[in-house]
Amino acid sequence: MQELLSHHRVALFGGVYSNYLALEAAIVDARRRGAEALYCLGDLGGFGPHPDRVFPLLRQAGVVCIQGNYDASVAQGAADCGCGYSDPRDTHFARISYEYTVRGTSTENRRWLDALPPVARISVGASRMLLCHGSPRQINEFLWETTTPDALIEKFCRETESDVLCFTHTGIKWQRTLASGCRAVNVGALGRPENEGTPRVWYTLVIADPDLTVEFIPVHYDFETLAREMAREGLPAEFVETVRTGWWTCCLESMPVKERARGRY
Amino acid sequence: MWQGAEAVPDVAFRELRTLWFQVTGTLCNLACRHCFNSSGPRNPWLGSLDVATVVRYIGEAAARGVREFYFTGGEPFLHLDLVRMVEAALAVAPVTVLTNGTLIDDALADRLARIAGAARYSLEIRVSLDAPTAKENDAVRGRGSFAAALRAVRLLADRGLFPIVTATEILDPSPAGPLYERLRARLIESGVQRPRIKILPVLPIGRCAQGADERRLTRKDLEGFDDARLQCTETRVVAEGGIYACPILAGLPGARLSTDRLVDALSPTALYHTACYTCYETGLACKNF
Repeated sequence: MQELLSHHRVALFGGVYSNYLALEAAIVDARRRGAEALYCLGDLGGFGPHPDRVFPLLRQAGVVCIQGNYDASVAQGAADCGCGYSDPRDTHFARISYEYTVRGTSTENRRWLDALPPVARISVGASRMLLCHGSPRQINEFLWETTTPDALIEKFCRETESDVLCFTHTGIKWQRTLASGCRAVNVGALGRPENEGTPRVWYTLVIADPDLTVEFIPVHYDFETLAREMAREGLPAEFVETVRTGWWTCCLESMPVKERARGRY
Repeated sequence: MWQGAEAVPDVAFRELRTLWFQVTGTLCNLACRHCFNSSGPRNPWLGSLDVATVVRYIGEAAARGVREFYFTGGEPFLHLDLVRMVEAALAVAPVTVLTNGTLIDDALADRLARIAGAARYSLEIRVSLDAPTAKENDAVRGRGSFAAALRAVRLLADRGLFPIVTATEILDPSPAGPLYERLRARLIESGVQRPRIKILPVLPIGRCAQGADERRLTRKDLEGFDDARLQCTETRVVAEGGIYACPILAGLPGARLSTDRLVDALSPTALYHTACYTCYETGLACKNF
């Protein structure tokens, strides 16, 4: 059995989606809160402006990244982002975002994305944690709170020999602890507000003291600057609206009805 | 299995993600001209399931970490125990009901909203409509079906259930433009909040079998093909007589994999039908997303 990197307090970042301003703010905040290690669960590009700006921040802060579907697609020059959308309106907006991100990602950064691992295993206190992007079995599986059965979480924990599963991909945070002690944590996303009507974004802090606590941390950042830059870059007005209002305007169709009902659109 | 001179290819089963229940068999109050399992109001060729059977397989599937359940038919709301079965499934996983919407009135919409509100998991209702106008839709689905379905969509949306309107491409391409855009515009114009639409291909089976392309899959077709795209690698259907490979072939002897235990049906699937070619070619997924 591989020896796990062991921590007591770690910060877990979800999709960054080129939001370098939120990433910068989250790194500062996590350090201030005493995080010993910073992890990002993939999808560094997409949605936001200037894709290359996130890479120096991640490297300088020593953020350990795993590969998301977006990273794999950009790295390999795939035909699409591989987010798993099937609705025509969603795929239209996803294509705009993907083509912009591919154009703006340097060859060096693409090589770096290509080398990212698909999962990371760490321990926090006594808990064995598996970090992945979508799910342990599929890089772009959507694990929403209202479509992820307890029994599926148990199965993933059993199959991966983990106590805590951490993932992102949907862009909306949630956590659940089962009677068995097995726990699932969607760490949320830094790149885009989570359809709750405020521009803030979220990351996750995991602390062993000695019992494990999982805390969602709001990040307030200069969203107005991001919105202006997105508009200047010619990104869709729908994306800019989301940054300013906190409501999702597109890429909504893979969202289950309970989550959908909480949003404006 | 052999068809002509060529062996029928099969695909391995990966893991159970979705389990379907064809609760009313092929009993339906409509008789749409493109129905892939020839459902209708008279002499259904496939019978209904009882509550005990459904509950048994919900348990077997949950023990294997199933991700979601679907209830279909026929018209599932013709089953008197449907809501009880949906509640039992919702206790362990998200549920989707596929309906023509014609039987959904205020009382049923209220009841569905109540059980959806009480559940941890999402309850999705898929309402079938094939065109954005009564004239076009009713020519396929029967007189009055457009108005009834649109009413159901409104009743559900008003209660926060935001149904997924499911349309086949039976009328697409239409001279009036792409189906998705027209349907979306019509739903918004009709006051439906958060319109959700899923488009499905027409399948060369059931009432569309006549004159359909007889192409069948060969082993050569599958060389280099990612078979995870085939839904029979991750889904099974409980219908009268046993457990079948996929929702399209439910009830057909060639697609039956078990007459009893679910675990016995998690075996390789023969891709013997022309509908298998449609799945292969179009990437058809009967699930919601």
